[in-house]
Amino acid sequence: MALYKSILVAKVDLKMAMKVRMVKFGLIGIGALGPLMMIGIVALLVYGDPVIGLLILPSISAILAPMLGMIVIIPASMIAANALVGEKEMNTLEPLLSTPLTDRELLLGKLLSSFVPSMALLLGSIVVSEIGTFIILWSVGAEFILIPGIPGLFLLLTAGPTLIVAIVAVMILISGKVKRVYEAYQMSGAIVMVFIIPMMLPMMTMEATGTVDINLVWMWNIITFLITLVLAASTWALAVRRFNRDTMISM
Amino acid sequence: MVIKLDEVVISGLTKNFDDLTAVDHIELNVPKGSIYGLLGPNGAGKSTTIRLLCTLLKPDDGTAYVSGLDIIESPVQVREITGILPEEGNHTLYQTLSGYENLEYFARLYDVPEEEIPERIEELLTFMDLWDRKDDPAGELSTGNRQRLALCRALLHKPKVLLLDEPTAALDPVAAKRVRELILSFSEKYGQTFFINSHNLSEVQRMCDKIAIIDEGKILLSGDTQELRTRFQTSQDFRIRVVDDLEKAGSIAESLDFVTSMKKEADTIVVTIEDPFNNNSNLMQSLLSQGIKLVEFAEEEATLEDLYLDVIKEGGAK
Repeated sequence: MALYKSILVAKVDLKMAMKVRMVKFGLIGIGALGPLMMIGIVALLVYGDPVIGLLILPSISAILAPMLGMIVIIPASMIAANALVGEKEMNTLEPLLSTPLTDRELLLGKLLSSFVPSMALLLGSIVVSEIGTFIILWSVGAEFILIPGIPGLFLLLTAGPTLIVAIVAVMILISGKVKRVYEAYQMSGAIVMVFIIPMMLPMMTMEATGTVDINLVWMWNIITFLITLVLAASTWALAVRRFNRDTMISM
Repeated sequence: MVIKLDEVVISGLTKNFDDLTAVDHIELNVPKGSIYGLLGPNGAGKSTTIRLLCTLLKPDDGTAYVSGLDIIESPVQVREITGILPEEGNHTLYQTLSGYENLEYFARLYDVPEEEIPERIEELLTFMDLWDRKDDPAGELSTGNRQRLALCRALLHKPKVLLLDEPTAALDPVAAKRVRELILSFSEKYGQTFFINSHNLSEVQRMCDKIAIIDEGKILLSGDTQELRTRFQTSQDFRIRVVDDLEKAGSIAESLDFVTSMKKEADTIVVTIEDPFNNNSNLMQSLLSQGIKLVEFAEEEATLEDLYLDVIKEGGAK
């Protein structure tokens, strides 16, 4: 398998996706939404009532991390929808499939075109959130804590990538069933709603008092990661097995 | 080991879409270096045949060999040695990428050596008169220029077999002529094999050495273009000019059983005869034997139109 060909496909895909206004502004908007939300909540807590705010901040972190993860997986579905169905709609799929690209090279290219920007967005969101939190805490002279914290970072850096793979795999699976990009966007929206459910599991760790048991948070984060790992492995295997040039062209 | 002398050998190739049999057990041999035309009305199975040959579709039965490679067993290798111009090829470019970027992308996908890519692109774009427009987004080019760019893309990796689906459809006559000239000059220059789908009879007649006629997924007729034209021609026009007595020449011609019509055009008579293969010499002899001095006795070029219409109508009865 020639990896450089997959990278080539990904580069062109990304270049084309960035020319689609919905994808470009969607990426910028959604990319900014996560850190803004994180920093906004931290600011509200710290500046609103610093005593209570600083007390519950570590607990809130357990909820904020999955929310950040949920937000940044949306662009993956948008780019993936554009990657295969977009080629079909633009009539560029036929010449592309007529090249000596193997199915695996093509699918890896399509995965990379969604995975790389989504991961960049995720990492960027984490960095901006941490810097924003640091500035807010420094401004009130409080001790610095990581928001998202270590368990949250674990969740984002493990379940985040696996969930992106799972979503791209599902988009590949549905790409043989739809003809138009808007249909793919609609389906991707529905799929994201289902696939973010595992990300909500760690939120159940918060008790009514607003506090969390850190062991419980770790346990749910690990369970979430394992669920998304199984989801990614099974959907990707299915996408590779079911990918069919015949169906892509005949549709 | 099976040695296939023809560049493309199609053997019992069949493709079904639900209840529709788009290609029905077709058999064709395309000689190396030839320009082969697959003629047929819309929906006859021409595009499906090309998509099967370039491994975009999988046959339900039968197979085909491209340069000796089985399309089912070696699809990647078949794609390496084929170049394709899909139907409405001018719409199959990345519209926001420049012409150069489009070609560069495909050159890499086709494993053209990195150091040869700029040279190869320049050669093709120059040949197609597109070098000055190389940095323009493909979407901003005219239909004819986009079609030529798509043809460049198909030729980039110097494929052994070119599969062209309606290469001049949607082009104005000037652009269509230019594309035809390019195909002929490439065929002459590199000796590549061209397999061309078309429903444009005059185009096929001008370009193709061999043709096949397909309808409802079945090959109705195939063979050498010139030979088929002659073999199936039921009548033909002859343009006759004489030294003096045109009226007499016309009367002699009209009196012959095999002459079906005669019309006068200025200093010429145009005579239509049945069974031209046998009767053209009879016509000439009749005129000469009665003292007519001929200045011109020219056969009007036969077209594929009658043959095509007859074959399609009769479903391959011939």
